[in-house]
Amino acid sequence: MLALLEGGTYFHREAIEGERLTGRFDRTIYAPELDAAALAGCDALIVADRIHPAVLRRKRPLLLGYLATGGTLIVLGENRAQDWAPGVAWEFRPTNFWWWLEKGTDPGHRIAAPEHEIFRYVGMGELVWHYHGLLTPPPGATSLVEITPEGDPQGKGGSILYDHRNVGGGPGRMIVTTLDPFYHHGSFFMPAASRFLGKLLDWTDEAFRASR
Amino acid sequence: MNDVALLDCEQAEGGVQDLIRDLALGPRIALLPLYDLGRTDLTAFRGLMIGLHADQRYLSSRRAQLESFLAQGGTIVVCGHVGHPFLAELNLFAPIPNYRVEDLEVNHEAAHPVWEGVEMEHLSRRRGVAGFYGRGSNPPPPGARILNSLGPGRHPVDFECRPAVGGRLLVHAGADLWGYHGSGSTADRIMPQLLDWITAPMEAW
Repeated sequence: MLALLEGGTYFHREAIEGERLTGRFDRTIYAPELDAAALAGCDALIVADRIHPAVLRRKRPLLLGYLATGGTLIVLGENRAQDWAPGVAWEFRPTNFWWWLEKGTDPGHRIAAPEHEIFRYVGMGELVWHYHGLLTPPPGATSLVEITPEGDPQGKGGSILYDHRNVGGGPGRMIVTTLDPFYHHGSFFMPAASRFLGKLLDWTDEAFRASR
Repeated sequence: MNDVALLDCEQAEGGVQDLIRDLALGPRIALLPLYDLGRTDLTAFRGLMIGLHADQRYLSSRRAQLESFLAQGGTIVVCGHVGHPFLAELNLFAPIPNYRVEDLEVNHEAAHPVWEGVEMEHLSRRRGVAGFYGRGSNPPPPGARILNSLGPGRHPVDFECRPAVGGRLLVHAGADLWGYHGSGSTADRIMPQLLDWITAPMEAW
């Protein structure tokens, strides 16, 4: 069973209720109303991008408790996850909306673990658009998509998507990204972001809603 | 005196931090954490600016407070799409169906102090890329003044109306207007003119 945590914005509403994506979430939870009952029975919880971080900080005990009981959190970008989610190390990078204006430019995206199940659905065509900062995956996590040092304006490189199983030695799992597809999809802006969200949900259908 | 409040949603993108840091404009704005709205006395302010990241479900729960702010002569500025109509004059966003680049060109429809001296081409494109300003309409209520529109279909992207309860409502169906601050073009005029307009006495219609 797959649940979505949403923040009451127009772009969350469009993604949930708009005609382009329908029936992809078994349950939607308005973040300020998140409680233990809402999380009961959820195999995975997608934390939609760009939820007000104050709400997520306030709900931190519930989210940690959910991980401790074996839940999977899929945390999307611009949620200041480094302030409330375990193991998240994030560095700011200026958003480059313009990478595609020069033909032949390599923005630096690389699939780092092609055998991972998510890549049965998500490919480079869905991944290469702007991102909001870089992650350093914690020990035990698998980096799935990286930005090369050459693609990073600071020359360092880092991860924009990783999978962290057995968070803190417990049964919980966190998939973390600095991509923010709900915002762009729900704003009718950037087809690549809509494609990424669609493919991500194809994967969550298989991984967490397989009994359907 | 900071007589305009901006509801803060703690988002890096959108220009709030740059605006608050600005030596001239920053001191004119009170940054109000979104979820503190319910315990804030708005009578101290002339205007309230609400950006695209706002939790509109929460704003719907604060509708009586927002209406009483309007009724005392306050001005509310709403940027972004309407997903949860939290005031009577707000209607669900309608995107331009299958828009093409020419549908995203901004047209000037009526003079307004906030957009005075702003060239539409500076709104239509950033670095040659169209679509940042708007991609559809928050359908205006009857009696609204359409200020700017998009494309040959002239889809309203900016309107001002006088809400039934009183006050003024300015609605921009796109990215936050404060994001144009520091753009280095005539769009830089928007923010100071917006603050001036909010704090000036209400014009007769």
